[in-house]
This record gives sequence, structure tokens and C-alpha cells, in this order.
Amino acid sequence: MTVDLVASIQAGDVDAFEALYRQHSAKIYTLASRMAGSPEDGEDLLQEIFLQAYRKIGSFKGDSALGTWLYRLALNHCLDYVRSRRAKMNKLTDTLDAETSFEPAARRDTPIARMDLERAVERLPEGCREAFVLHDVEGFDHKEVADLLGIAEGTSKSQVFKARLKLRGFLGKR
Amino acid sequence: MRRTASFVMAGLVLAAMPAGAQEGGHRIVLRDLVRTFGPGAYQGRNNGPEQTERFSRKVKIGRDGRFSLSNIAGDIVVTAGSGDEVSIEAVKRTRGDRSELARVQITVDERGGRVDVQTDHEQNRRDRNGRSDHVSVDYTVSVPVSASVDLHSVSGTIKVTGVHGSLRSETISGDVTITDAPKLESAKTVSGDVTLSGITTDGDLTASSLSGNVRAKGLKARGVDVGSVSGDIAVSDATCERLGVKTVSGAVEYAGGIAKGGRYEINAHSGTIRLLLTNPAGFELNANSFSGSIRSELPLTIGGPAAQPGDSPRNRRGPLSNHSMRATYGDGSATVVVRTFSGDIIISKR
Amino acid sequence: MHPNETTLNEYADGSLGAAERAGVEQHLAACASCRQLVDDLRDILRATGELEPLDAPVRAWPRLERAIRMEREHATRVTAGPHSGDAVSDPADAGSYRTYATWLAAAAALVLAAVVGMRYTPVRRAEAPAVAPAGATASATAGGAAESIETELRQAEAHYENAIKGLEAIATTERSELDPRTAATLQKNLAVIDQAISESRAAVRSEPASEPAQQSLIEGFKAKIGLLQDTVALINEMRKGNEAGAARIVSGLKQKGN
Repeated sequence: MTVDLVASIQAGDVDAFEALYRQHSAKIYTLASRMAGSPEDGEDLLQEIFLQAYRKIGSFKGDSALGTWLYRLALNHCLDYVRSRRAKMNKLTDTLDAETSFEPAARRDTPIARMDLERAVERLPEGCREAFVLHDVEGFDHKEVADLLGIAEGTSKSQVFKARLKLRGFLGKR
Repeated sequence: MRRTASFVMAGLVLAAMPAGAQEGGHRIVLRDLVRTFGPGAYQGRNNGPEQTERFSRKVKIGRDGRFSLSNIAGDIVVTAGSGDEVSIEAVKRTRGDRSELARVQITVDERGGRVDVQTDHEQNRRDRNGRSDHVSVDYTVSVPVSASVDLHSVSGTIKVTGVHGSLRSETISGDVTITDAPKLESAKTVSGDVTLSGITTDGDLTASSLSGNVRAKGLKARGVDVGSVSGDIAVSDATCERLGVKTVSGAVEYAGGIAKGGRYEINAHSGTIRLLLTNPAGFELNANSFSGSIRSELPLTIGGPAAQPGDSPRNRRGPLSNHSMRATYGDGSATVVVRTFSGDIIISKR
Repeated sequence: MHPNETTLNEYADGSLGAAERAGVEQHLAACASCRQLVDDLRDILRATGELEPLDAPVRAWPRLERAIRMEREHATRVTAGPHSGDAVSDPADAGSYRTYATWLAAAAALVLAAVVGMRYTPVRRAEAPAVAPAGATASATAGGAAESIETELRQAEAHYENAIKGLEAIATTERSELDPRTAATLQKNLAVIDQAISESRAAVRSEPASEPAQQSLIEGFKAKIGLLQDTVALINEMRKGNEAGAARIVSGLKQKGN
């Protein structure tokens, strides 16, 4: 019962908070790692997010599901983190990475291995990575992504498409 | 073809990386790329006549817009103006070669209602003498009065006046001086002084310096946290509900009020702690020092809450000895905890 | 003439309008390279759709739990008025040294956990010795004899020292990342804190039961750990080449009355 869980946590019951953690940590950790671009950063963000949730649980009004409230908190935290970390090094990243082109990628006969895809997503430059994670992985539509990231809807589309093409480059075998 | 070229570049980078830099993956490769292609050779003259280059930009952000500025070397002055636009004037300076100026880039990122200014020293070249390319950029900025402002610098002073939106100002080596900033959230430096005046806020604020002094005058806030390691702390004309002050070898002076039910905690190792209280509400005092003396000029009722059984080793010194004082003033509603190791503690009325 | 990348992307993920779809399909029938691109995009979309949640590392919960317990104790201390019933949290109010030593050990364990989890470089993470919160809690009775108090305090001190060593290792080996002036300031202030710690330690040895002596030793450790943590964070930012970020991580004593 969510109501009981929230009340217990608000009363300081750490076991109740653990139950909440067990239920949602995988999803939050996944979001954080992919947005931040590394599992190490994801782990730190996970810690910060849940600590924040613990502190703010008093403000949970019950007007949405607890998981949704938590996910929003996590998403906002990840976005803040990503924004504040955006360095001008991005420019350098972009010039080094292969430009996308119409050259056919080398034939890839084997299906894309999950680890390879995870690693490739980590390698995406900031900017297009967040848009990609939010749209293709988390399932927000372009308008939602635009709102979340503070960009135009057209920019969301072009960033997501750019990310896909980069992934194609990373994953193509030589 | 381009793909091959970038692969070759990556190969060069890998070859050039210092040993041990491989862990961490993609990002470290880029950083080290930057370092290997760094200056090394050309240091340039550094004591020629000063060369300058000006930069100027105005951006509309609306009255409640957000402004952030990130600088590396150079001073920042921000004032509030009427209107809804941000006006940025910057002067790049060097005593080296004029060409150095072009290598420092000022990027202004405008995005609906916010402006973020970054100062980038090209390729973040860093020689081991601490300064990258001997270029400093001084900024003079005017923002709408209710804009929220976020300032960061590495080596340079920060001076802000009249900004009424939320404000954060942090630098590493330089003074931070803030005046008339009701929504100040944090003012920090490592080796410089922090000086705050005319701050009235409903919220909490933090001010710290590592080796410099922190002075706050005319302060009204809910929670105040002030700290230094070797610097002195002086808070005067202050009204707050919660106070946390820490220093190691510096001295502390708090000249202000005690709010009903508030909590005030001051810690110093060897510095003297002076409390000059103005019309304090009642409070319970818990003052302790290992070897410093404790003196109070306020009329206090000696003794705090009843001693617990098994207290005896601690109360060996009794409720009043010259190293420990538990006393009540007035109705005892607030809590004042003052601790030093060897510094003296002096409590008086203003 | 090939459709542009945007159109092909939209075709691949099904967001292309019906009107344009026919035209694209016609082109794809005749163009191998565009067909390959669309196939690849679809593979990627499919694989992305199949991505499953990653499991959070096992150590994440214990770290979090410690942080929460510390928050609660700290919150109780800060908001407690003079009549607070919670005798556990503020050593100055508690009559029991045993509780005091427990708190100290728990604080040290938290710091150690933070050291282990340092974001800096995986290779450099300090190996955390197994930290058990002071098992010594069982042995002392409330307000017990001076010797057992000193033992407990020494054990708790050991926990703090471990945390400090871990941070120091990172801070000293990587300090070249900082500019010399900042490094010198940090060093100088570290010396001020070390001086304070050695004075406090001497005082605790000579008067183990003295609460001000113990308190000042704790404050010294906290100040030292705070400084080292800030130093490491500063190095982190410098190393990332983002000197703007470094100004955010400015050293100061951790506040909030702890």
C-alpha cells in the first residue's frame, strides 16, 4: 500500500525506505547511468537521487503514483547534472567523431549485442545522448523531450537522429 | 574516408597518452589529447605592454531571467540595472603576445530567458606554473534587478551589488564581496575574503573561505552557515534563527540577536569566541572549552537540565567551572552551544 | 536523389507521414545504400527497445542507508531544542560515552564508504578495510571507567584515520592537477587542522574523560575530512579540464552545525 509506505518513510522507518529503493533502484540507476554516460556517475547520481527522495518524501502529495514522483525527481536531477556538466569539450568531441555519411556501414550479420549497445550509448556525446535516452530509450515524445531539455522540438528530432546515426557508426563492424 | 582519418587521429592520441591515463575510457582520451597538443614550446614574453581586446554583448532575458558566468582568471563585477536585459562588457588582457587574446573565447549561450557565459581558454592549456596562457578577462555586467545570478571564477575577485534574485558566487583565489543581495544563497572562496553586507533573506545562506576572513554585516536570514579554517569570522547586526559557525584557528565574533527557539552553534579550536547579544530571547547556554576560559557578563542562571545518573566523570568539572558553563538566560527557549579547545569564550550584551 | 537523413530516420521509426512514405519506399526499392541505412536504424531501434534495466550495484544500498542514518541523527541534533528527548544524537547532552563512540564510528564508516565510492578513477579507489561499527559498544557501561572509554575512542579514531588515509592518498598523488598557489593554500590549512588535531589528541590522552577534549578531536577529524574531500573534488574538476566547475567545489568547512 503506497499510502502506508509513504507514511512509514515519513515517520523515519528506514526499512520502508529500503522497500522503496528495492522496487525502483534498477530503473533509476539505469536512467542515471545512461544519461550521465557512465555507470560510475550513474551510481553517484543514484545515491543523490534517493537521498533527495528521502528528504523530500514529506512533500509527496499522492496525486501521482509514488514511482512516477520518484522518476520525475530522478529525471530532474539527471538533467540538472547533465546541464551543469556540459563542457565546451563537446566541440572537440564532435570533430573527432566520424561524420555521418551515406557510406554503407560494413555488413553486420550478427545482432547487436546488448553490451555493445550500452557502451555505444555511453560514448554518445552529451547533447544528443540525453535526447536519445529520453526519446528512444525512455519513450518520451519529441515535444516532451523538448520541454524537458529546454530545446526546440525540431532540435530534439535532429539530436535523436544524430545519435542514432552515431550509434550506427560505433556499432558497424569493420 | 573521414572515418579512417578520425581513426588515425585516435591512434595518434593513444600513442601520445601518458601511461596510466587509459582508464576512464573515452573522455580521458580527449583530455589527454588536449594536453599533448598543448603549448609546451611557445611561452611568449610575459612582461610586455598590456594588450587588450574588448567584448560587448546585450541580451534580453526578462526581469526574472537567469544569468550565469564562468570565468577563469580575471575580476567579475555585477550590478543590477533597471530593465530586462543583461549587458556584458568584457576586457581580455595580456602582457604576452597579442595573438594570445584570440585564444581565449567568450561564449554567450542564450536560451529563452537565460544567458550562460563561459570563458574558455583554448584547449584548456595548462602549464605547470598555474596560469594557462597569461590572459585574464575582466567582466562588468549589469543584470535585471530580479534576475538570478550564478558566478564562478578560479582566480579573480567577484563583486556583486543590488542583485535581488537568487545569487551564488564562488571563486578559488579571490575575494567575494556581496552587497544588498536579499536572496544570497552562497558566497565562497578558498583563499580570499568573503564580505557580505545588507543581506535580508527568508532562506538559508552559506559563506566560507578556507584561509581568508568572512565578514557579514547587516544580515537577516533564517539559517546561516559560516566557516573558515584559518580565517576570522565576524557576523554583526545579525538576526537569524539558526547559526552554524566553524573555524579552526580563527577568532569568531557574533554581534546580533538570539531568536526564540533558535539554535546557535559556534565552534573554534584556538580562536576566541565573542558573543555580543542584542536583546536576546531566552536561551540555554552550553559553553565548553578544554583549556580556554569562559566569561559571561549576562545575568545567567547557573545550571542546565538536571544531571543524569552516571554523569559524574563529565560533571567532574561541575556546571560552572572556568572551562565549562551550563546556564539559562530568561526562559531558556533557544539553544546556544559554544565550544573551543583552547580559545576563550566571552558572552556579553550589546 | 536520396531522401535526407531526417526523412529516413522518420521512416525507420514510423513517424513519417503517409504522404511521404510512398515516395521513400519507391526510392528504397532501388537504392541499396539507403536501404542499408534504414535497416541499420531499425536494428538499433529494436535493440534499444530491448534494453533492460541495469541492476544497481550491491554496495549502493549500504552506502545509502548509512547516509540516511547520518541524516536522521544530524537532523535530530540540529532541530533539537534544549528539551529534546533524543539522548543518542548529541554527545554533549548524552550521559553515555558508549553512545558517543558509536556515533563516531558510524560517522567514520560513512566517510569510508564515501571514499570507496569516490567518482575519481576506478583504479585509485581506496580499498576499504572491513568497517564494522564499533563492536566495542557492547563492552563499556554507561559512563564507564576511563580505560575502556579510551579504548573505544581509540577504535573509533582508527576508523576515522582509515578514511583520512584513503582521501590523503588521492589528494597527495594527484595534487599536481591543482595550480601551485591553491595547492599551497590547501596544504597550509591542512597543517593548521593537523596542529589542532594533535593538540586535541594530547588532551584526550591526558584527560580521557574530558568531553571538550573529545569533542575538539572529533571536530578536528571532521574538518580534516571535509578539507580532503573538497581537495579531491577540486582535483576531479580540474582533471576533467573544466576549470569553471572547479570554482564550484570550493573548500570550506561543511556547515549545518555538525
